[in-house]
Amino acid sequence: MSQSDLKNEISAAAVEPLLPVEKKLIGWSLGLGIGLLLVLIALNHFVPIKL
Amino acid sequence: MSDLAVNVSEPIALKARLNEDWLAVMIGLVIFGSALVSISGTDLLGWAVTTSVYTDVAQALNPFAKAYAWLGGGGALLVTYAALLVVLSLSVVTLGADVKKFAIAFTAVFAIAYGSWIIGSYAYIAAVTPAEQQKFGLAWSLKLTNEGGFIVALLSGLVIANFFPRFAEWLKDAIRPELYIKIAIVILGATVAVTAAGRLSLASSLLVRGAAAIVEAYLIYWAVIYYISRKWFGFSREWSVPLASGISICGVAAAIATGGAIRARPAVPILVSSLVVVFAVVEVLILPFLAQTFLWQEPLVAGAWIGLAIKTDGAAVAGGGITESLIMAKAAAEGIKYQPGWILATTTTVKIFIDIFIGIWAFILGYIWTNHIDKGPDKAKPVEIWQRFPKFILGFLFVFAGSLWLAIGSTPEIAKALPAAAGEANIFRVIFFILTFFSIGVLSDFRKLWQQDFGKLAAVYFVSLFGFVIWVGLLISWLFFSGFKPPLAS
Repeated sequence: MSQSDLKNEISAAAVEPLLPVEKKLIGWSLGLGIGLLLVLIALNHFVPIKL
Repeated sequence: MSDLAVNVSEPIALKARLNEDWLAVMIGLVIFGSALVSISGTDLLGWAVTTSVYTDVAQALNPFAKAYAWLGGGGALLVTYAALLVVLSLSVVTLGADVKKFAIAFTAVFAIAYGSWIIGSYAYIAAVTPAEQQKFGLAWSLKLTNEGGFIVALLSGLVIANFFPRFAEWLKDAIRPELYIKIAIVILGATVAVTAAGRLSLASSLLVRGAAAIVEAYLIYWAVIYYISRKWFGFSREWSVPLASGISICGVAAAIATGGAIRARPAVPILVSSLVVVFAVVEVLILPFLAQTFLWQEPLVAGAWIGLAIKTDGAAVAGGGITESLIMAKAAAEGIKYQPGWILATTTTVKIFIDIFIGIWAFILGYIWTNHIDKGPDKAKPVEIWQRFPKFILGFLFVFAGSLWLAIGSTPEIAKALPAAAGEANIFRVIFFILTFFSIGVLSDFRKLWQQDFGKLAAVYFVSLFGFVIWVGLLISWLFFSGFKPPLAS
């Protein structure tokens, strides 16, 4: 596949709608990520860096 | 990272990448092991060339060890070049490259890259403190430290890539930034261990905080960028996965690993990788200076931020090196002298933590894609976690653990001699950093950004990077690392 083929493909590709499984992946990632960050922030607060 | 110059019609061989990882481990271990021999009193690497800040270039170069002073600076430079040429030529043979072409191109690469380093050590560029300026009789200097040579090497590469494309093409056999930075990271394990051994509690605290980087890169950045790519820019799944991985996780390695996991065509992640490199260069040229200006009073925040914001191993770790030197220079000018190594160690910790999970993330995506999206006979298998694991990290961990044991678990005599041995290995870490910077520059043809149609890919990167990756990274770094400074140098 040549570089120009890829360029044409990028500009001409039909839009693929988000599937439910993709929406789940995005939602679960964000939810889990924000939740874990909050846990880590709490840990950071209660177990501060030791010098 | 090294894929920008690759013709997109060439399929990337995962096997070759894995070999490159193992090669980096072997070369890094050979250098580390040879440096360790100096503890016994036999100095195997003392001939390695070092560069001091200078006004008279004849005084700039020296061998690392006084025992090799008879070589002189020029002799040390030649021996260092010859040693690297032999080791790297043997290595590229195992990758199936043309050793003659490599040797010729490497000679030019080494000459320009190390020449850039020497230029960067010129006192008008490198001198930092008033005492240094007085020592060299200077009224002014750019205060970039001698690690400003990294910037000079990067700029040299950029000039070649953008104004002398035929020469860049001629050099490409020796333009291997992935290999160079992986070797450097393996060697860096020794320096990080020696640094950590001095303040174990601080080091372990930093390690725990590295976990935040994993959450941020994989669960937050990836999801947001994938959504932007799919929903706002209308990219297909095949393009969006490598793009989101490249921007959010770890540039080239992540784009290729996840692209392979979802069974994307090989050319897709390669093209994405080329974009990652170009943006990483822009970041390396800007972020360390922003960190010096706005974060010099929060050095560890700056180190973590660089690790989170710059999306290739090479550019991130090397950017951490520049940030450290710039912040230490600024602090020194204010009368604060930090122990070296902590800022770079923070950047490296963040980056290594992110790298470790590439294989697992690729497997998760592969499982979802092959079972729920593109169902077919070729299902993702757990063994792919190991296949896609960046093996050079094992080298880093081995060198780190070995050095840490020597520093705190062996005899006092060995512990006392270890920093000098790690320093000797570090000479080569710096040289591989220089080669990395130059190589990244040579691979960064900015005209690609202006090429019609690739602008859409670049737009996703631009929106994601400057829209939230940099700022969320800064916020997270601030939350976890603010208020804690590196120990002061005694």
